[in-house]
Amino acid sequence: MSFQEKNISASLSTFTLILVFYLIRVSQMVQAESFNSANLFRLWGIIAVLAVVGTILISIFAHIAGGIVHKIRTNEDTQIEDIQDERDQIIDLKGTRVAHTFSSLGVAASMLTFVFGQPPLVMFATLIFFGILAQIVSDIWRLNLYRKGF
Amino acid sequence: MGKGRISNNIRKLRFFRDEMTQQQLAEKVGVTRQTIIAMEQDKYSPSLELAFRIAHVFGAPLEEVFSYHPEDSQA
Repeated sequence: MSFQEKNISASLSTFTLILVFYLIRVSQMVQAESFNSANLFRLWGIIAVLAVVGTILISIFAHIAGGIVHKIRTNEDTQIEDIQDERDQIIDLKGTRVAHTFSSLGVAASMLTFVFGQPPLVMFATLIFFGILAQIVSDIWRLNLYRKGF
Repeated sequence: MGKGRISNNIRKLRFFRDEMTQQQLAEKVGVTRQTIIAMEQDKYSPSLELAFRIAHVFGAPLEEVFSYHPEDSQA
């Protein structure tokens, strides 16, 4: 697995965990009837911090664990190819395009909640849900491009 | 207009250059080894600039390294 693939896998794992955490917290809030703006925006803050810190920590762990496994298997030191060449850039751009498409669909879906007479809080909750989902879909898309080629 | 396929002889040319490793070629042309692997497996078609750099490393004309197969001539 290349340096870039490890980073994408780390991001994918982080955002999947964040999505699960987000859905659990929102459902808990709804059940406890504490689904209000203060709690929801607090959750936004927690998710933003988790996304940054989680991605960094999981990336570091993935590279260290990958290095140890490589050393045990081949008895050679790991060579870190942290340069981003033209193929990585194209894959990044394709992933970003998918993320933008998904985010746009998410914004449209969020606005639809108004059409169905839902309060603004539901719109905000839907918006962040699609934001996280867009990142996950983008990561899966990029990993697929690395594996299958294009 | 349909998409064609670009194949290459990089593996063969590496062999004839004293079994040049993928890592050595990658360093000479300024890409990662993963990109060389993807090209050898026909999973990635390089940019024109990279194609010229690879041909330059092997000292061969471009058409000796890469060949284009239009969609209707695929076997």
